[in-house]
Amino acid sequence: MVSNKPVVARWVITRECALKVNGSTNINQFACIIPEYKGPDTLTLYKGTDPVKMSGSLALDVTTFDCHNRGMTGELRKVLKAKEFPNLIIRFISIDKYPDHMEPVKGIVTIELAGVSKRFEVDYKFIPDGPHMLTLVGTKQVNFSDFNITPPTKLGGIIKTKNELNVEFDLKVKVLE
Amino acid sequence: MKKIIFSGLIAGAVLFVLSYGGLYLAVKFFPGLFTSYNNPIFNSDGSRDMLFYMHAFIISFALSWFWDRFKSMFKGAMLLRGLEFGFVYSIVALLPVMWITFSSLDVTVATVASWFVYGLLQAIIAGLIFAKINP
Repeated sequence: MVSNKPVVARWVITRECALKVNGSTNINQFACIIPEYKGPDTLTLYKGTDPVKMSGSLALDVTTFDCHNRGMTGELRKVLKAKEFPNLIIRFISIDKYPDHMEPVKGIVTIELAGVSKRFEVDYKFIPDGPHMLTLVGTKQVNFSDFNITPPTKLGGIIKTKNELNVEFDLKVKVLE
Repeated sequence: MKKIIFSGLIAGAVLFVLSYGGLYLAVKFFPGLFTSYNNPIFNSDGSRDMLFYMHAFIISFALSWFWDRFKSMFKGAMLLRGLEFGFVYSIVALLPVMWITFSSLDVTVATVASWFVYGLLQAIIAGLIFAKINP
């Protein structure tokens, strides 16, 4: 009798993870970062499935966003309602295939931000980073409006923040087969 | 009273065009001067935009009353009267307000200085208009 039970792989997320957000207004650009993850946490991958199912999540502290400018940092935290919703949660749903090589792979995640959860297709790059270590870089363009957030305006609308945000999360994981 | 309202309306319309037009052009051509406005102390949800755009008329009516009450103290040619009026307003009203603003809010010296100059120019323009139409 042959078992169809999927092979499970576990990825332990280390503390050296970061989330970067790049955006712009009509007068400047901003680059903000959550520089570290307070984990560790574990992602589980079911290798026999197509697409490869994943379970596990990553909760990042929105109150630690740093835009390298005190005003901009405060502005982003306020816009993202950091006091009310201090966590940005990425839930990993699936990836198209198990990353055996460095080729790009697409995957599905849900991102919960400011109390709103939304499903996204994410582009992943997997970079081998030593024995049983892997760096996972996920990128996605999201909009403030995806999370029911109105992009901020200043001075009666003369200064406007653009709706689009480029999000990149870098996860360093330890692979346990 | 009629003169105060009429002068205030004319000055308000002129200041509206010059102030917001100037602001729009300044943001377009000197964007670096405005990056400090990306700060949570400035309203960002648009809920007070109407109040923001009413400012030209609020200052114009206030200055129009002030001019009517004290215009006899500003002597000389129209240009001189307008200039003196602008400086008097700036020293008496703007300077203390800018002082307390800088001391209590997280704004830069450059930002507060730009508000002072902005208010001074508005008051001089209003003074010139009042000196012309309500001498």
